[in-house]
Amino acid sequence: MPDHWGFVLSAYGLTAVALVVYWRRLVRQERELDHT
Amino acid sequence: MTRVLGWLAVLGLLAGLVAGFGLAPREVTQGNVQRIMYVHVPSVLVAYLAYTVVFVASIAYLARRVEAADRVAHASAEIGVLFNGITIATGSIWGKPTWGTWWTWDARLTSVAILFVMYLGYLLLRGMIEDRERGARYAAVLGIVAALNVPLVHFSVLWWRTLHQPPSLLKPGAPAMSSAILTPLLVNLAAYALLYAYFLAKRVRILRREEEAAA
Repeated sequence: MPDHWGFVLSAYGLTAVALVVYWRRLVRQERELDHT
Repeated sequence: MTRVLGWLAVLGLLAGLVAGFGLAPREVTQGNVQRIMYVHVPSVLVAYLAYTVVFVASIAYLARRVEAADRVAHASAEIGVLFNGITIATGSIWGKPTWGTWWTWDARLTSVAILFVMYLGYLLLRGMIEDRERGARYAAVLGIVAALNVPLVHFSVLWWRTLHQPPSLLKPGAPAMSSAILTPLLVNLAAYALLYAYFLAKRVRILRREEEAAA
């Protein structure tokens, strides 16, 4: 079976983006609370 | 403590990448596309964990009306939706080259999509009700009902004839895979569990501070 590296990179890339976006959202929420 | 958890999660994720790409062999039947499993399987197991925490915390809230339990349920549901979404997306990306389709209405895929939608509904419900106590109470009931879907999702592949393969982990008997594949899977599972704990601690603290600021 072919290796389909494009699919592998897409899956890992999408996961990394989702986790980083969520983490950044938490950091932003904390910063906003620091300023209130 | 939260910071330590965060760094441990980062180290775990790096170890998971090394294990998944450096140590794990190329799978004989599927080829390298099987490496998606090192993300897909841990993310679904962490989603199960997150929803189980929602279940327990919701019962605790209904029994004792402790606001801390409600905050844990709220935060855990949000993180569960995140990992559940990752599970569906990575499963779909794996399915295209392996099954020849991005999606099929098989029992496992359908039940996991229902689980995802139910917890999205849980988060929407929390946002819709202005009265805090009432919102927490309704959410707790939905959190408990939705979590009952978790065993249905997990055992759907055993109870019905599905395109999805039987469970790799959390099944009767020993895991049916070589240690060369099982070890990277467990390393990634530990890393994702640490990341869940880090996100949970951070989100619970934010919810508490938001409530304090609103009071």
